[in-house]
Amino acid sequence: MPIDQEPLVSVDKLRVEFRGEDGPIVGVENISFSIAPGETVCVVGESGSGKSVTSLSLMRLVEFGGGRITSGRLGFSLNGEQIDLAQTDSETMQAIRGDEIGMIFQEPMTSLNPVFTIERQMTDGLRVHRGLSRTKARARALELLQQVRIPEPERRLTQYPHELSGGMRQRVMIAMAMACEPRLLIADEPTTALDVTIQAEILALIDRLKRETGMAVLFITHDMAVVAQMADRVVVMYRGKLVEEGPVERIFAAPQEEYTRKLLAAVPRLGEMRGKPAPEPMRLVGEETAQASPTPIDAAPEPLLKVSNLTTRYPVKGGLFRRTIANVHAVEDVSFDIGRGQTLALVGESGCGKSSCGRSILRLSEPTSGQVLLDRTDILALNNRDLRRRAWRDMQMVFQDPFASLNPYMRLRDQVAEPIRNFAIKTAGTVEDRVAELFDRVDLPRSFMSRFPHELSGGQRQRVAIARALAVNPKLIIADEAVSALDVSVQAQVLNLMMELQAELGVSYLFISHDMAVVERVAHRVGVMYLGRLVEIGSRQQVFENPQHSYTKSLLSAVPVADPTQRNIRDDLNFRPIPSPVFPLGHIPAPSIYDEVAPGHQVLRAQMGLGLD
Amino acid sequence: MSYILNRVFSMMLTLFLISAITFAVTNILPGDVAMMIMGTQSNPEALAGLRETLGLNDPLLVQYGRWVGGMLTGDWGSSLVFKEPIAPLLLQKMTASGLLVLFSMAIALTCAIPLGVWAAVHANRWQDTAASSTAMLGVSLPDFFWGIMLILLFARGLGWLPSSGFVDPGDDLGAAVRHALLPSLALGLGLMAHLTRMTRATMTGILKQEFIRVARAKGLNESTVVWRYGLANAVGPVMTVAGLQVGYLFGSIIVIESLFNYTGMGWLTYQALLNRDIPLIQASVFVIAAVVMLANLIVDLLYAVVDPRIRLS
Repeated sequence: MPIDQEPLVSVDKLRVEFRGEDGPIVGVENISFSIAPGETVCVVGESGSGKSVTSLSLMRLVEFGGGRITSGRLGFSLNGEQIDLAQTDSETMQAIRGDEIGMIFQEPMTSLNPVFTIERQMTDGLRVHRGLSRTKARARALELLQQVRIPEPERRLTQYPHELSGGMRQRVMIAMAMACEPRLLIADEPTTALDVTIQAEILALIDRLKRETGMAVLFITHDMAVVAQMADRVVVMYRGKLVEEGPVERIFAAPQEEYTRKLLAAVPRLGEMRGKPAPEPMRLVGEETAQASPTPIDAAPEPLLKVSNLTTRYPVKGGLFRRTIANVHAVEDVSFDIGRGQTLALVGESGCGKSSCGRSILRLSEPTSGQVLLDRTDILALNNRDLRRRAWRDMQMVFQDPFASLNPYMRLRDQVAEPIRNFAIKTAGTVEDRVAELFDRVDLPRSFMSRFPHELSGGQRQRVAIARALAVNPKLIIADEAVSALDVSVQAQVLNLMMELQAELGVSYLFISHDMAVVERVAHRVGVMYLGRLVEIGSRQQVFENPQHSYTKSLLSAVPVADPTQRNIRDDLNFRPIPSPVFPLGHIPAPSIYDEVAPGHQVLRAQMGLGLD
Repeated sequence: MSYILNRVFSMMLTLFLISAITFAVTNILPGDVAMMIMGTQSNPEALAGLRETLGLNDPLLVQYGRWVGGMLTGDWGSSLVFKEPIAPLLLQKMTASGLLVLFSMAIALTCAIPLGVWAAVHANRWQDTAASSTAMLGVSLPDFFWGIMLILLFARGLGWLPSSGFVDPGDDLGAAVRHALLPSLALGLGLMAHLTRMTRATMTGILKQEFIRVARAKGLNESTVVWRYGLANAVGPVMTVAGLQVGYLFGSIIVIESLFNYTGMGWLTYQALLNRDIPLIQASVFVIAAVVMLANLIVDLLYAVVDPRIRLS
């Protein structure tokens, strides 16, 4: 809530330009907002909206990325005086950075210097700004690590970044930014790269530190759910311009601008599918909602894909002769079915084995044991030739990163035509006609056929990847985080496209995702994975409305809700590192035993060595 | 520790292979040691007798075994040309060439690192273009060209340094350094150009990293950010390339030492080849290979010092 006193920061008509090949490119223009002491202001927008440029401008770091503040004022109250950060000389800026304004960045894996110890990185700011001696700076660093609740803080100081997990590194980053007790903390997408349970902890941590120290927070994010949980006030940005600004409750309850309404509509909200048996497309403002005809609830009794006791282990090599010294148990005794025209979602956090599971079904990673039946064909028994000719014709994959999964040197036409030629698929007309038809089907203009991948946006590229998968008329598409890299409005469109295609073509999906809210929208059935095991599987309603396994429950409760009236960020006390899936060679894990709590709803019995509570 | 053992073990294996290959190749070449000793016009019976005494009629494998045994026990035989025992000869020449390699490496690194960092900091501006084109010039011209240029400038023109010859550092250190300076510079220029480009490329990548932005956000001054946070990450890759260049330097010294009449390993090897001094060829190729590998082993071990991520327990 706005606090009635002089603002700490007042941005006025900010304009930032970048050097372009043909003259300057406007990064942001006419941006004005203010931050009061002790207030959290969230700047929200999709990629390219200029939200990071705005925050980097406040730190005057934008200049190091080739940007220039060409006009506007960046008012900041320093020792009771109002100064303009846009006009401040670089020495004063150095004194302000890290002292008056602290900053946290998105990637905890890359934002710490890999060759310096945590101690050195935590103390150098203190020594510069506070002139502390080595021992005093060390004592303060230790105190900070305790404040952000890192286990074994003394040991962490002597460690290097690669020895810490992502969540722990982000805690170190926060501790570092807090070192000189800044009056403003800028957090640029601080939880985007983190798993949802760790995100919940980090959000709670930032919120607690804010309450304890009374600092102001400028929080940059693309995630409306995080905004709803964190913000006092919200600034919505789009293409370098400020769209709307206001208190968080008002923005969510009564958005004034068309763009804000669109953005909010595209956000899947956990719980909004409560009581609905079948998946539903997103409502997109300004587009008529293609009402996907309800998918047949698997009339045929026999499932399309039947996975039984699938186990995949990766060897860990070491020693003088690079022998296998241990195994990563990536997928451990996993069984599930996928019905025709249905979607099974596999959810879980990074490293839980969901991607390995998808890859094992296609034998892109060779499973250690188990059975995979696709239409009664035993996939694991096929030789290499049949695997290519039959299995990969019936099962296709769409990957997370459409930038990496398309060949930059090939025209899109050829990339979509490639599987048709490779598998010698019979087409009614020419191959060219079939490709054109596929472009129509994924709602891409035919003129794109002669383009190269770099000429397309992320969403358009993902449509090409889907068209390429559809080219062979597959029965099953394995979508591995297929919409995770896309902006929320684009994500909604691609999800709707996938659901339409399912209704039209009867294709089944194995939808691998970490995003619970998206999964709730698209899945018929949901499997939750943890440490290589399927801990719970059931219909979407069963898993989301009546979760049984403790891990499913904690996962669901960690998802931020896109509603400012339902704040569910808890205290950040329960710091629990995920146990390692690496086991010694002879280790024979216990088989997965499930209890059927309702028809089709199975829960892993006991803890099966998962290291939970 | 097991990493070091591992490396030493694989180095032994490589050395063994090298010894076998050099031995085989020198034996395939026309002419043998007996012919070299007695000359082409010699009496066939005396030649056959000498072959018998030298054991040249034994199967190749036996000869190879005898040679390896000799190498291992310190009996490296005698040079046919120099009529001296090979081991002390090689030691002396290796010291002379080691001086050149160390000097040129030092010259190259002290110039290349600041220049490369400077170019990276000013990436895509005139400073970068200037540094990069100078480096390109250095890379594209052969080092004997620099040798000739240096002789013309410093020896003939200015007369500051001797144009040729070698002085043993044990006899007169000052003179030894003066004689080593020009050949080292000739070797170092090409190397420097190469390392400048490498430093620039590595640093350009590093300066775009998030942790550099974080360092700036902490309020550290720009020189700390670049020269400590940045450079600490570039040292490893640059050092690795420098280590690989030691092999290239030993190739170059054959030309440069002959040009400067500097009697080191390069000059010695050249003489050995010219005169088909087979025992000397075998031993010097082996020693050069061992020194190059040792240099790379040291670099790899140093890598673990500068980069904790590859520090192995």
